Amino acid sequence: MAQPRISAYLPPDIDPTKAALAFGRRALPKLNEELQSAELLTQQRALMALCDLVHDPEKVYQAIEIGFLDNLKTLLGHPDNTIRQKTTEVLYLMSMHSVGRWGLIQNGVISALTGLLDDPVDICRKNTHQIFDMMAKLPEGAAGVLQAALIPPLVLKLQTELEEILELILDTLANCLRMEVSEALAAGAVGALKAKLTHPSAAIRSRAAQVLLEISSHPEGKLPVCDEEVIPVLVSLLEDTDPAVQASAAGALMFALVTPQGRSSAMAAEAIPPLLKLVAEETSRARLNAIKALTLLAELPEGRETLLAHTDTFRECLDDPREVVARAAQSAIRAIEWKP
Amino acid sequence: PNPPEIQKQKGAQKRAPVRKRVKEPIRPGTPEPVEGREHVSVQTELYLEEICDYVVEVDGECQTDEFLDRPPTPLFIPAKTGKDIATQIEEGELFDFDIEVKPILEVLIGKTVEQALLEVMEEEELAQLRAHQRAFIELRNAEFAELQRLEEQDRRIREEKERRRLEHLEKLRKQKETTEKIAARAFAKRYLADLIPSVFSNLYDSGFFYDPIERDIETEFLPWLMSEVEETLQKKVLGRTMLDSLIRAVVEKRLDAFSCQPVPGQTEAPAKEPRPPDAAPQVSGETAAADQLVTEKEETDQPVAEEQPSDPISSQLEESDQAGTQDLETE
Repeated sequence: MAQPRISAYLPPDIDPTKAALAFGRRALPKLNEELQSAELLTQQRALMALCDLVHDPEKVYQAIEIGFLDNLKTLLGHPDNTIRQKTTEVLYLMSMHSVGRWGLIQNGVISALTGLLDDPVDICRKNTHQIFDMMAKLPEGAAGVLQAALIPPLVLKLQTELEEILELILDTLANCLRMEVSEALAAGAVGALKAKLTHPSAAIRSRAAQVLLEISSHPEGKLPVCDEEVIPVLVSLLEDTDPAVQASAAGALMFALVTPQGRSSAMAAEAIPPLLKLVAEETSRARLNAIKALTLLAELPEGRETLLAHTDTFRECLDDPREVVARAAQSAIRAIEWKP
Repeated sequence: PNPPEIQKQKGAQKRAPVRKRVKEPIRPGTPEPVEGREHVSVQTELYLEEICDYVVEVDGECQTDEFLDRPPTPLFIPAKTGKDIATQIEEGELFDFDIEVKPILEVLIGKTVEQALLEVMEEEELAQLRAHQRAFIELRNAEFAELQRLEEQDRRIREEKERRRLEHLEKLRKQKETTEKIAARAFAKRYLADLIPSVFSNLYDSGFFYDPIERDIETEFLPWLMSEVEETLQKKVLGRTMLDSLIRAVVEKRLDAFSCQPVPGQTEAPAKEPRPPDAAPQVSGETAAADQLVTEKEETDQPVAEEQPSDPISSQLEESDQAGTQDLETE
């Protein structure tokens, strides 16, 4: 009987771990059917093939149209580790494209992923968090993450997860908390983040400061930040070696100093000298944030006295190429020289 | 299955339909023979055949030999036809490797590079997106912070204004209260200024302030005086009454005495008798004439201050009374 395989030796460039792709438009539907088959090996091979195809945005679009996501959602709960890992990888690759992100939001994949937060396999967890991170960059995605009530578990994970996953979680939190902060505050995010501010890794510190920035940009977030005495820690971070950490810390201070208590605790922690140093550096990213923080401090009488001596630092900032910085410097000078 | 058996079965199969046919009733095909004749079946073929009921059977067997290995095909070298020709391909004659390999290489490298570019583009797109997002976020945060600062400032100023306004209102209210208090105080003072004199005058009028001696005289001396006067008057009245009764008794006696001798001169005597200028007979005459007036007199004999009603009949009485009172006063 004739068979499609001509000789007993397979051609040299076929990957035995991948399913054979049908030609043209038939590839994805066939893979869809193979995903639903009862045999483990077929499913795994289909997933491997899918991983390769999903780098192409057109294939992503086609896959979503066919309805791959329902099958993938079912596979997320499969007992086999490889299948889960590959499924999460496929979803992550999908979320890298805009079409994929929208498809994931509309099919409610985010809530299906909540079960994988406690997965024993590291790679599955990492992929899951990568998916959340990518989704949170979109406003609707962040809303989806909030709606799936993911914030309390994520805050809990802050204390227990590995480092690289921690970075992903912090990024996700930063984007989600920009929208709404109440759930995180209820879960005790400020305390957890305060602990992370002194982490040995600079990336985690800068991200933690970024999350605090987002929290304190909301009015109800400012109070816990002042109450839990995060401001002295942030002031100490201003002198950190990593510029990203400095920038995020200055940004967090910029928001937290709007409240009177914040201002008084910042004055008590002597925030002005490090902030002035940041302003003086021409190329630092923290310049803008530091100028804004100093503007806030200039509204206090004792802050104004101290800053009157340093107005020339601000005048230098007026020549900064970025227009935002120049404007900020102008308003700072105005605040310093204001007479009641 | 054994070949002879199979053959037997086949024979049996062949015989079965023959038997069937024999058992079937012969259908009348040919008509019955005419009388005296017989139908006889006759073979009409070229060669006569002996027909009998049973078929002569002979069993025969046959068997193939054991399989022997196929002997190897003898080498077949076909007869040589044609000529022998040799050729040698020098380098560069069949094809130019460098030129020919170009398209193949191009495809290979092109595909690889394309794939790599796709991946790099993906990542770069994402990195660009992120950088863009970061810049936007920074800008947004800065603006937001500015907004919050201004909001805070505004809130503070508004609160300050509100506080000052409330203070001012409080001040006005206190001022108003104070002026009212002062006005009330002045008014009350003026009102009460002549309170004391009026109070005193009222009290004085209602007799709260009294001269103790005067009061003493009034409360004690005068009643005593009046009671003494009353006593004296009563004594006088008593005396008069007694006198009256005496005179009455005397007169009655005399009347009784003189009623035995009714003499006109006697009747004048009692009429005359009351005319002696003695105070007492005068009084008795008065009494006789005014017997009915005694009680009135007694009644009208009251303390000094009161005046007695003047009686036109008893003007004499009045005069005598007045004389009596004058007597009293001289006493």
